[in-house]
Amino acid sequence: MTPAVAGRAAAARPESERWTVAVDVGGTFTDAVAVGSAGARHVAKVPSTPDDPALGFLAALDELAAMGVVPGSVGLIAHGTTVATNALVAQRVARVVLVITQGFRDLLGYRGGSRPDLYSLQPAPPLELVARCDRLEAVERLDYAGRVVIPLTDGEVHRVAEAVAARGPQAVVVACLFSYRNDAHEARLARAIERRLPGVPVTRSAACAREHREYPRTATAALNAALRPVVGQYLLRVDAHLRARRTVGRMVVMQSSGGTVAAPRAEREAHRLVVSGPAGGVSGAAALGRCHGLDRLISMDMGGTSLDVCLIDDGVPPVRPEQTVGGHPILCPSVDVVAIGAGGGSLVRVDRAGRLRIGPASAGARPGPAAYGQGGTEATVTDAHVVAGTLGAATRLAGRLRLDPTAARAAVARVGRALGLDPEAAAAGILAVTLAQMTGAIRRVSVERGLDPRGYTLVAFGGAGPLHAGLLLREMGLRQVAIPPEPGCFAAAGLVASELRMDEARTVLWLLEPKVLPAAARWCRETARTLTRALAADGVDPRRVRLRWRADCRYRGQGYALGIPLGSGVRADLGGLRAAFDAAHLAAYGHASPQEPVELVTLRLAAHGPMPAAAPSPPASPRRRVLGPTPVERRRVVLPLARRAVLVPVYQREQMRPGLRLPGPALVEQMDATTLALPGQVLVPDPQGTLWLREAQGR
Amino acid sequence: MSARGSGLDPITFELIHEGLVAAALEMGGVLKRSSYSPIIRDMEDFSCALFTAEGELAAQADYIPAQLGAMGLVVRSILTRWGLTLADGDVFLANHPYLGAMHTPDLNVIRPVFHAGRLLAWAGTAAHHLDVGGVNPGTEGPALQEVYAEGLLLPPVHLDRRGAEQADLVQILAANVRDPASTIADLRGQRAACRLGAARLLELVARHGALRVRAALAEALAASARATRAALLDLADGAASSEGFCDDDGRQGPPTRIHAQVRKRGARLRIDLSGSSAQVAGAINVPWASTRAAVVYAVRAMVQPDAHVNDGLLEPVTLVCPEGSVLNPHFPAAVSVRHNTCQRLADVLIRALSALWPERAVASSSTAFFAVNIGSRSPVHGGAAVLADVAGGGTGAHAAGDGLDGVDTYLSNVGLMPVEVAESQYTVRIRRTELIPGSQGRGQFRGGLGLRRDYEILDLPQCVTYYAEQTDPRFAPAGTAGGGPGRPSRLVRIDPSGREVAIPSKGTATFAPGSVLRVETSGGGGYGPVRRRPAVLRRRDTSDGRDPIESTPRQRPPARAARRARRTV
Repeated sequence: MTPAVAGRAAAARPESERWTVAVDVGGTFTDAVAVGSAGARHVAKVPSTPDDPALGFLAALDELAAMGVVPGSVGLIAHGTTVATNALVAQRVARVVLVITQGFRDLLGYRGGSRPDLYSLQPAPPLELVARCDRLEAVERLDYAGRVVIPLTDGEVHRVAEAVAARGPQAVVVACLFSYRNDAHEARLARAIERRLPGVPVTRSAACAREHREYPRTATAALNAALRPVVGQYLLRVDAHLRARRTVGRMVVMQSSGGTVAAPRAEREAHRLVVSGPAGGVSGAAALGRCHGLDRLISMDMGGTSLDVCLIDDGVPPVRPEQTVGGHPILCPSVDVVAIGAGGGSLVRVDRAGRLRIGPASAGARPGPAAYGQGGTEATVTDAHVVAGTLGAATRLAGRLRLDPTAARAAVARVGRALGLDPEAAAAGILAVTLAQMTGAIRRVSVERGLDPRGYTLVAFGGAGPLHAGLLLREMGLRQVAIPPEPGCFAAAGLVASELRMDEARTVLWLLEPKVLPAAARWCRETARTLTRALAADGVDPRRVRLRWRADCRYRGQGYALGIPLGSGVRADLGGLRAAFDAAHLAAYGHASPQEPVELVTLRLAAHGPMPAAAPSPPASPRRRVLGPTPVERRRVVLPLARRAVLVPVYQREQMRPGLRLPGPALVEQMDATTLALPGQVLVPDPQGTLWLREAQGR
Repeated sequence: MSARGSGLDPITFELIHEGLVAAALEMGGVLKRSSYSPIIRDMEDFSCALFTAEGELAAQADYIPAQLGAMGLVVRSILTRWGLTLADGDVFLANHPYLGAMHTPDLNVIRPVFHAGRLLAWAGTAAHHLDVGGVNPGTEGPALQEVYAEGLLLPPVHLDRRGAEQADLVQILAANVRDPASTIADLRGQRAACRLGAARLLELVARHGALRVRAALAEALAASARATRAALLDLADGAASSEGFCDDDGRQGPPTRIHAQVRKRGARLRIDLSGSSAQVAGAINVPWASTRAAVVYAVRAMVQPDAHVNDGLLEPVTLVCPEGSVLNPHFPAAVSVRHNTCQRLADVLIRALSALWPERAVASSSTAFFAVNIGSRSPVHGGAAVLADVAGGGTGAHAAGDGLDGVDTYLSNVGLMPVEVAESQYTVRIRRTELIPGSQGRGQFRGGLGLRRDYEILDLPQCVTYYAEQTDPRFAPAGTAGGGPGRPSRLVRIDPSGREVAIPSKGTATFAPGSVLRVETSGGGGYGPVRRRPAVLRRRDTSDGRDPIESTPRQRPPARAARRARRTV
């Protein structure tokens, strides 16, 4: 679509409407959602363009423009991108030179000294972020307290800068041992290299992640350096296209933490984008919860290949401070998602020992499940649904794909023969085992962390999420299920509602005693000021900036530190830390040692706040009684967990008007997902377009 | 079919099995995160598992392969000793290497699980504790001659009786180990993990019934046995043998021979270790549980059954080894440094199976397994602290590519201690940790590079126990299919004056402040003839400085060790 077309469409709309637009680039589709200041809402789905993701991004904007979302009236674009992730997977990253303390040139070569797969005698070597010839050493050394053991001379600084320049790098990373204690050496080396190589990004390990343990810190910085040119160029390209279309709004980019960062800052923070894939959906679930006053949620994204589960306990998605991607540790907060290889396309087989196995291999988008009729012959979870009848011959997947029940049945029948079961029993078995895997994933984020899932609302999305939500509701006794308006592009919807967020951390390794509290408080004060200023510069009202403090603590001698929340006030609640740590240790591991000395390992601050252009939620329409809609079909379905087939009415999602109370069993179909309600459950649509699923009897 | 004969339908079996594996994993999470010992928390030297009522391993979480199949023999010892008086709420503690444990530092905490008054199953954990007393800090000592010198010996005894902790035992333990606070805290973590495993098992019973859960535990074993048989049927029949040596007997005596003869026919595999040396004077003897673990590892890596790890995996495997062998010693031979011998056994098995199935052949990985215990103190609070570290080497090259540089190999996967952790907790300085160019076996695909790490002793004279293998060039990691061998390991003491003294591969010595212990671990063997190495990889070897022979062909004199190797072989 050309800008000219977009311009024509724009002329038909009042100029006053302001839009917030979200564009989420996924592996197969690029989804876009626009929310207008007057409550209008448009959705677009276009194929992704992996060779240049910017093209899919623009095609999605053009589709929105055709619906009346004028580029000139877009106030904010929130963008979820896989450009950093893909660059890492495809090994298309910048050429980086590393400068490191003498004696440790190979730190990124032996990667901590352990291997990724215990049983493989033929492991594929992981990508080397910095080639061995590009790893240089600097003569300098600090001790554990940050005191100088070997001074860094001016001559050495000069020599190193020249040696770096001679290699003509696209980016440079400087990492000195104990720089989390004292970053003076790192800073001098970096300044000299920046002066010698103007325009080449230089990343310092302590600036990137001021945390102890040299390998993850250096690897994080190297990853940042390797990705900066990639992310920077991509964002410049997108920006140029947006300017050409006279789009005026600011752009923010989703980070792994579930918060966004202003686009001009994203290049410097490139490593924070790597695991942002699941973040859009999770922050969408959190936003849905905020909108409905629910703060205990389980976000469940089930697509074709995997299931991502995240437990949200206080309205903000939880993060973990470290993540590993493709064998590279990354020290940056990432949404704490448990992912398992169970999706609609997960392959089902019976192994040589006669055991039923589901996933983690997936039929993917091509050939896809046997039922897609694209040449796939192996059974998948989707095929089991087709045999059971929960997906019918008339169901359209992704709005276009017609299902082939004969092919699905043949594939499932093969599995059944190997197990000695008829196709229906095999399909029921496949669905039961899939459900067990799903409950396992939910238990990992809830029961295993000492939390009872029964008080939680499940937010189910992704193409296959709503199909399994009712089963999980019953199986786990959850409170209720929320199915968002467009489950298939919920990540984009999540972007619309996301907030800007910046994170800072510092390893201190102090014995937790009253005398260290003032120093801790000083760090908190200064960091809060810095981050608040930065967010304000990016457009957040400073009065609406919220702070979340954490301190990682451990008993002296322990290795793993436990993250203790220190509240979300203007000041961190340092005084209550000791007691909070003992209590948290008792809760997590069943024992505490209030007499033992405690070490304060790392202080962390997350600052976040809404963008001014954030869209209002649409006004609630007055509640009135609505008559039950007429089903478009009545289908014979063998419901999972049941033995016999029953007739189940099938509805369209458009028929789900607020005020309706639709008893199960029922199926609700829409372009990108099918929702299943079991007998005894009830479907309740609300004015915001969310479909609620509950047990009718309050089981 | 899947649940043939067990009266259990295949779907219910999967549902219960899913729960068993999840329970073992969850136990591991509890233990790891609450642990004090770096060897548990960072090096993951522990395992968690569930057993049938008879003590067969039914589900295990995958942590360190050296503990594969661990604990089953301990459970059987408990049954023999306490079978008649078992009660709900009992928890047992054991570390006796001649009653099923692997070596004394591995403390096994095991709990019977009862349902309706009947023994249903067992939940157990084994974890390597830093010190359980004995002559040397860190308990291990290559020169030790009896298990009596290897710390406190615990046959299966009650840690808890009907839910009550046995205070006497805890007192005895505390009086015998060098870091009682950590040991006891970690034991309580192990007990918490067992309690959790038991609770999860009972949840499965509540849901599926005890009969079905019992049947599923048995079926898990049967399914893994079927998977091993199926995988064996796909492989060629035949026989092969291989041998390898440890540098010495733990006391600088003659080399210790490890020999394996393998014969595969149909769905069965026979592994005969009878050609190995008789038990030796030093502490490198291998208790039976560890010999078995090496066999499970080699079978899993080379036969590649599509199965979960449990005792069924070895059902189609016949293992032969006479008593009195270094791999099946008589009480009370010392065993604390058995791991090096185990690594060598894994290597010998993989070489024998490589000869049998050339399409799966790989070159040898380093079995140097350098380990060091330094009786140190904290620079922060001055209290005693034992530094335990391990350095890996190069892995073997294979038909699909080069080996990995500087990683732990085969049965263990212990990471290097971060420098920033080591120097903050102990009075040492790690002066360098680097790859050794030229240490790799050359070939069409090169082996991984060995590691060089320097430990400088600061502050006070410190007692250092260290051990490694493959300092003898004859025993360096071998190449395969025409590839060259990796360079042997080397240990050096550098005195404060700068004088370098080569030291034997195993020992205990006092190091003066300012002196340095340098370790150089062996590189992995190469695969295929070097002339077939693609030009692009040769160029990269040169530009990366990984292969100094390539970059400066005339300068580099052959290493003295390599010359010696040619003379002796």
